[in-house]
Amino acid sequence: MIIAERKPLSEILGMIQGMHRILVLGCRGCVAVCSSGGDKEVAVLASALRLGAVKAGSDMSFGVQTLVRQCDPEYLAPLAEMAKGYDAVISTACGVGVNFIADRCPGVRVLPGLNTTFYGANLSSGEWREMCAGCGSCVLHLTGGLCPVARCAKGLSNGPCGGSVGGRCEINPETACVWHRIHDKLTDLGEADRLMDIMPIKDWRTAGHGGPRKRIREELLP
Amino acid sequence: MIKAGSNLENILTNGQFAVTGELGPPKSGNYDVVREKARILKGYVDAANITDCQTAIVRMSSLTAGLIAMSEGVEPVMQMTCRDRNRIAIQAEVLGASALGIKNLLCLTGDHQKFGNHPQSKGVFDMDSIQLLGMIRQMRDEKRFQCGEEIKEAEPRLFLGAAANPFADPFEYRPKRLAKKVSAGASFVQTQIIYNVEKFKKFMEMVCDLGLHEKVYILAGVTPPKSLGMARYMKNNVPGLDVTDDIIKRLQGAKDQKEEGINIAVDIINQVREIKGVHGVHVMAIEWEQAVPEIVKRAGLDKRPEMKGFEPRLGARAEIEDAVKKAEQESGRLAPEIDRLKNEVTAANAIAVKEQDRVSGLSAEVERLKKEVRDTQLSMEQKEKEVSRLRAELSQAMSELEAVKAQAASGQSIFVQEQDACETDFIFDPSGGDMTARDQVILNSLTLGLESLRKALGLNEDQFEAIKRFMEAQFVISTGGRQSPAVSAAPVTTAKAVESKPVRVIDTKPAQSEVVADVVAPSIQSQEDLLRKEVVNLIAKANVAMHKKDYETALKTFESALAIDASDVKAQEGAKKARNAMGTVAQPAVSSFALPARPDEITPEQWSFKWLVRYVAQGNVALSAGDKSRAVEAFRKALAIDSKDEKAVAGLKNAEAMQEGAISPKSEMSVAIQPEAVAPKSEPVLAAVRSEVQPEVKAKPAMSAVEAKPVAVTSVAAPVSAGDFEFAREAKSLTERAGAMPANLFIERCSGSIKPVTIGDGDKAVTVGGMNTLPFHLFEGEMANAPRIALDVLDVAPEDWPDSLARHYSDVIGDPVKWAQKSVNEYSAEAICFSMVSADPNGLNRPAKDVAAVAKAVVDAVDVPVIVWGCGNAEKDTELLRELTGLTGNKKVCIAPLTDANYRGLGATAMALQIPVVAATPIDVNLAKQLNILLENLGVSLSSILMDTSIGAVGYGLEYTYSVMERIRLAALTQQDEKLSVPFICNLGREVWKTKETKQPSSELLGDQERRGIMMEAVTAASLMLAGGELMIMRHPQAVRLAKAFIQGLM
Repeated sequence: MIIAERKPLSEILGMIQGMHRILVLGCRGCVAVCSSGGDKEVAVLASALRLGAVKAGSDMSFGVQTLVRQCDPEYLAPLAEMAKGYDAVISTACGVGVNFIADRCPGVRVLPGLNTTFYGANLSSGEWREMCAGCGSCVLHLTGGLCPVARCAKGLSNGPCGGSVGGRCEINPETACVWHRIHDKLTDLGEADRLMDIMPIKDWRTAGHGGPRKRIREELLP
Repeated sequence: MIKAGSNLENILTNGQFAVTGELGPPKSGNYDVVREKARILKGYVDAANITDCQTAIVRMSSLTAGLIAMSEGVEPVMQMTCRDRNRIAIQAEVLGASALGIKNLLCLTGDHQKFGNHPQSKGVFDMDSIQLLGMIRQMRDEKRFQCGEEIKEAEPRLFLGAAANPFADPFEYRPKRLAKKVSAGASFVQTQIIYNVEKFKKFMEMVCDLGLHEKVYILAGVTPPKSLGMARYMKNNVPGLDVTDDIIKRLQGAKDQKEEGINIAVDIINQVREIKGVHGVHVMAIEWEQAVPEIVKRAGLDKRPEMKGFEPRLGARAEIEDAVKKAEQESGRLAPEIDRLKNEVTAANAIAVKEQDRVSGLSAEVERLKKEVRDTQLSMEQKEKEVSRLRAELSQAMSELEAVKAQAASGQSIFVQEQDACETDFIFDPSGGDMTARDQVILNSLTLGLESLRKALGLNEDQFEAIKRFMEAQFVISTGGRQSPAVSAAPVTTAKAVESKPVRVIDTKPAQSEVVADVVAPSIQSQEDLLRKEVVNLIAKANVAMHKKDYETALKTFESALAIDASDVKAQEGAKKARNAMGTVAQPAVSSFALPARPDEITPEQWSFKWLVRYVAQGNVALSAGDKSRAVEAFRKALAIDSKDEKAVAGLKNAEAMQEGAISPKSEMSVAIQPEAVAPKSEPVLAAVRSEVQPEVKAKPAMSAVEAKPVAVTSVAAPVSAGDFEFAREAKSLTERAGAMPANLFIERCSGSIKPVTIGDGDKAVTVGGMNTLPFHLFEGEMANAPRIALDVLDVAPEDWPDSLARHYSDVIGDPVKWAQKSVNEYSAEAICFSMVSADPNGLNRPAKDVAAVAKAVVDAVDVPVIVWGCGNAEKDTELLRELTGLTGNKKVCIAPLTDANYRGLGATAMALQIPVVAATPIDVNLAKQLNILLENLGVSLSSILMDTSIGAVGYGLEYTYSVMERIRLAALTQQDEKLSVPFICNLGREVWKTKETKQPSSELLGDQERRGIMMEAVTAASLMLAGGELMIMRHPQAVRLAKAFIQGLM
C-alpha cells in the first residue's frame, strides 16, 4: 500500500493564498486506508483550512468531495464538472492522484495535500513501515522474502555491514538489521547457503534510474 | 601471481609480516598536513591507508592525499567507498589512480552519510563493497569495465583489499562474508580495530577452517586508545567495535593515558602476531600519527623491508632524478664560486672585526680623555675652592694683622715692620727683628712645606704668595703672643673674634679695627668696655646669621645688641636689613597663610618643604576631583612657600585653566586612573568598577577625591550624576544596527504594562514601575520610571558586616538616624530601607514599641521615602509594623515584608492608611501571584504593592531569581496577567553581603576583598534590573554608584 501523510497545514495554506474557492478532494484508495486522505481526513482538513483562513482574515470557502480512486480515469471523470467554480483542487490522494488530475483535467489547478512517503505495511494502528522500494527487480526469493533494497540503509546486496550489532541497524537502533534477519530467516529455512552467493551489481534502470517507468499489457489494451 | 607489484603486495607475498598505517586527509586543502603525516609514518609502515571521507565527513580526496603521500615516499593504500560514487565515477577514479602509480585499493561500502557532516546528502550505494571488489577485479583481470566493455589498454593494476569486522553480528556469518570478499577479489584484508583478542582468535579459527588464511593476507587492525575518553566513546558509540572492560580499566589505572594507550596497542600486536593466519598489522592511530613510530618500534617491527615496487608517477622519479642530477652538476659548478665567496666573506669579516676593535679602542680613548677633562675640571674647581678659602683666611689674617697693628699703635711693642697703611699686604722679613733662631728654623721649614704644597696644589705664584703671607702672619701672631705676655689677652680675643666671624662680614674696617683696638686695650677695660665687647660680638653673630640667611636669628641678635646699646649704628642698620630681608622672604606666606606650628625636631627648611609637598599634593587631588577653588588655593599656598616650585606653578596653571564646576567623568579620574577613565565598550561596568575601586585601594589621594565626590553632588543638588564612571552606551541605536531589516521583524511591543507604585511623600517621593516594555527595551516601549536605589540602614550595629562595607558607615553605625542621614546626604540614597533586625524574636527580641520609636525617628529624620522592613517573623512584624504605622500616621512609608502568614493584618492596616506594601514570597511565580490575589481580595490595590520574590546573590541562585522574575514580567507584559503587573523590590544588599566571598580577606587568588564585594553587589543589582527589578535595596556606596551608572547608561 502507498503510505502518505498530510502536509503541514501552514504549507497548504501557503499554496492557496489569494484564492477564494477551494475544493478538497479525497481518495478512498490507499490514502483512506492509511488514514491520510479519505472521507474523514478531507473533512478534517477542510475544517482546519477554514479556521486557518479565518485566522488569516481571508474569505475563502472550501468544498469537500471524495472519489473512489483518483488514479482511474472513470472515477476521475466527474471532477471536470465538480471543479467548476473552484480556484483550485487540493488532492489528498497520493502523488499519483495529483499527477493524474493534472494530466487529465485541463483547467483545473491541482495542489498536493499529502506527502507520499513509501510503500509500506500497517504494523499496528498508527504505525506503518516501508517494505518495498519498487525497484523493479525483485530479489526477495534470494533473501527469505525480506527486502535489502528497501530495508537496508545502504541497500546492501551481500550480507550485513560491519555496523550490524545485536540485530540492530547502526543508523537507527530502533530499526532491525534486515541482513541479520535475512541471515536468520534463511538459516531457519535451511537456505543458509544462499548467503554465500554473491549477488551481482544491480541494474537500477528498473528502479526508475532508467527514466519514467511504464507497463503495457497488450492483451488488456482496449 | 603478482597483481599489482606494490610494496605491500611484495612484502605479503614474500611472507614478511606487514605493517600498514592510516593517514587521514585533512578537512581542508592543506598540502602540508598530508606531507607532515606522511613523514611521520615513513619508514615505519609498508603502506598507509588513505581514508576516503571517513565517517562521511568531507575531507581531501583519497586519491589526492595518496599522491601527496607518495611524493613523500609513503606507499598509499587508496580507500574507495560506494557511498559517494556510482559505478561510473568509481571506475574513472580507479583509472586515474592507476595512471598515477597507485597500486593498492581498499574496497569499502562506506560509512552511512548519516554519521557525517552532510546527513542530508543522497547516498549513492550503487553497489556494495563485495560488488566493488568484483568490478575492479574484472577491470584488472578481465580488462573489462563493469558494463562488459573492453579496456583496450592500460587496465588498472591494483592490489585489492577489503575490510572485515570480526566483532559485528551475526558473528558466525562474519568469516563467510570474508570468504565472499575473497572470492570477489580481495587479496588482503584489514580488520576492524581489535581490543577483544579472544573473540578475534575465535574469528580467526573460523577463518582458517574456511581455508581463507591461505587465500588472503589478513592484517589485524590495532588502534592505540589516545585517552580513556576515546576508549569509552568507541565502546559506547561506534557500532561494531568491541572495547573490553579490561582496556577501560587499564586506562583508568594509568598515570599517563597516552603512554598506556601505546602499551595497549603494542600488547595487542604481540598477541595477534601469534594467531594463525595473521599476516600483518594495520595500525590506525586516529589523528595521532605520531604514535605509530613508537608502537612499531616497541613491537620490534621498526626494521621495515626495503621498499619494492613503489613507483610514484606524478613528480615522477625520473624527473626527480634528473632534477637531482642537474642540481648536483650545478652545485659542482657553483662550489668553487661559493668557496671563493666564502673566503671573501671571511676576509671581510676579519677586516670588520679589526675595524671594530680599532673603533672600540678609539672610543675607549675618547672616554679616557673625557674622564681626564672631567677630572681636570673637578680638580680645578677644588683648587678654586681652596684658593677662595685661602683668600678668606688671608683676609682674616689681615684683619688680625690690623688688630696687631692697632695694638702696636697703642704703644705695645711688637716686631712687625711698618707697611703701606691703606693696603692689607705687608712684607714679612724673616731676618729682621728679634726673631729667634728657633723661629727662623720653623719659618724656613714652613716655607719649604708651603712650597711643596704649592707644587702639589698647582698654585700659581700669586696664590702661593698669598698663602705664604698668611702663614707668616699667623706665625708672627703666635710667636708674638708667646714673646710678649703683656698682650697675651689680645691675640686670644682677636683669635676668638676671627674664629667666630666669617671673614667677609668684617668689611667695615675702620670701625672694626677701632673696636678691636678698644677691646684689646687692657688699660681701659671697664664695665662699659665689656658691654661694648658684647655688642660687637652680638653684631658679629648677627652678621653671621644674616649671611646664613637666617634672618630671624639675625634680627633677634641685632635686637639684643640694641638692647645693650640702642645707639649702635651698626646694630640698627643690621636690624633694619634683617627686617627687610625677612619681609621679602616671608611676605607672601604671611599675607596668605601661616604654616602650622613646627615641631622642634624639624628644621624650618624641612618643615616648609614638607608643607610645600603637602600643598602641591592637595592641589593635585583637588584638581583631579575637579574642585577648582580648592586646587587653586592649595597651589597658591605651595607657591607661598616656594614661589619657584615647578610642580606648584604647573598645577596652578592647570587649576586655573580648569572650567569651574565642570566635573566630567574623564577629568575626574584622569589623575589616578587615567587608563580606565574611558571604559572599553565591551566591559563597561567592569571598567567602571575598576576605575572606581582601584584608586580607593591603591592611592590615598585619589580615594579622598572619590570620597569628596558625593558631597559635591548633593551640594549641587543634582539627583544623580553618573558620577565617577560612565557606562558606555551603544554608539548606534538598535534600528541603525538592524540596517535594512524592517523594524517589525525585531520589535515586539508588549500589550501589558506595570503599575506605577509611589512610596514616600512630597517632591522626594519615588515612583517605580509604569513600564510597558521589557527592562531597558527602550526601542520597544517606554520605561516611565528608571529603577531606583534605596540604601539599607540597620537599627542595630551589624555584627556580620565585613569591614570593607562597615567602614563606610563606621561613624554612624549604631545610630540609625545619623546613618540614614548619612546615606541620604553623602551617598545620595533615593530611599532608605530601614531594616529592623533587632526585633527578631530569635535575636535581640527588642520590644516592638522601642523598635517602632526608632523607626519613627528615622522616618522623620530624612525626607526621602522609607521602606520599613521587619525582622521576618510574621507575628512580630505584624505587631511591629502596626505599632510603627500608628506612629507615622499618613506618611507613605512602605511596609515590608507581607507574607502569606501575616498579609491579613498588615494588609488591612495598609489599606486603611493607603500606604504601599511589599508582598514577599519564596522564589516562585505562582506563590507571588497568589499573594497578590490574596491582597487584592482583601482590598489592597495592586498599585500599592511591590513584589519581593526573594533574591539570590550572584553565585547564590541569581539565575533562579532571574528566570522567575523574567517569567513574571513576561506574564505581566505579554499575557496581560494583571495580578503580576506590579513592580519588583529587590532586597539584594543583605543577600550579597552575607555571602562568604564578601568576607574572605584579600588574596592573590580572590583579589581585593572590598572590590570583590562591590562587584558582587553591583553585578547582582545589574542582573536583577535586567530581569525587571525596579527598587533595589543595596548597601555599599560604591556599588550603588555603579548601579546608578548602569541605569543611566541604559536609559
